[in-house]
Amino acid sequence: MSQSLATQCNEVKERYDTCFLKWYSEKYLRGTSTADNNECSSLFKEYSQCLQGALKDRGIDKLLEDAREDNKENDAAFMGRKNCK
Amino acid sequence: MVLTHTTNHTYSHPFPTVTLAFFLRYCSPQLNPFANHVLSTDTISSQVDPATGRLHTTRIHLKKSRMPPSIMKLLPTSITGGAADKASYILETSVVDMREGWMSTESRNLNFVGVLSVVERQLYTAPRVAEPAGKTDVETKVVFRSRLGERIRDKLGQPHAAHQEGGWFARLGARGIQRSIESLASTKTQDQLGKSREGMKIILERLRQTGIMGVLELRKRARERGMEAM
Repeated sequence: MSQSLATQCNEVKERYDTCFLKWYSEKYLRGTSTADNNECSSLFKEYSQCLQGALKDRGIDKLLEDAREDNKENDAAFMGRKNCK
Repeated sequence: MVLTHTTNHTYSHPFPTVTLAFFLRYCSPQLNPFANHVLSTDTISSQVDPATGRLHTTRIHLKKSRMPPSIMKLLPTSITGGAADKASYILETSVVDMREGWMSTESRNLNFVGVLSVVERQLYTAPRVAEPAGKTDVETKVVFRSRLGERIRDKLGQPHAAHQEGGWFARLGARGIQRSIESLASTKTQDQLGKSREGMKIILERLRQTGIMGVLELRKRARERGMEAM
């Protein structure tokens, strides 16, 4: 994928993305994935820990909270669609 | 004030490949030349719901702002937070259901929402059995909403205070500005939708030729070249 928001996370992001794309195309799409997609989870944990600081520093964690609040207000109109759970 | 824009499109590629292309679309400018405006992409959550088998993914993209510069210039810095910050954070959530054959996605901007909120929802569906296989339908619905007037009234504390300021805002009127922002953004987005479709088609073609392993290899080579260049 493209770069990570935080350059220090680029390497682990790269490894996670590769793992995810392989799992997605070779297992999930073929319906052979077990429900508990574990094979990329340790990489994801590492990547996520790296990213947390950057999300906080840039105020993105706060923006995410605001977006969730906003969603609650607006989503009522779209509840009829099967995909909006 | 809300503006809605809906379009339908059919890709000549099977549903699973189209969903893979969705995840790959900001992969690298070598793969998708229409993704040059994407500065970064990060996954913040990704999990399979054990009950339904659906994959839920949340990502954050940083994009060069789609807000037209003419709008940025018009607005007071107290609202834009300073025009220097021209990049937008986009929150993308997606759900894939392989068993039922649909993928729903939603992208919304996280900053500048006081000026303009753009929410794009897409529904990708595999055709029903009777239809020819190897095609995927997508419905795209974009909702534009400017809350500029509300924001200014909130800031000043009373409904008619904007007029007392007597500046450009009072002359043009909050509603007029909201409408202009929404329609400018809508025009720009229709243009962008065409480009994003072109980008998807390039990725789909590459997947048809080389498969996912070929795409991963291309991405790796592009990254190595990038590192050498640094």
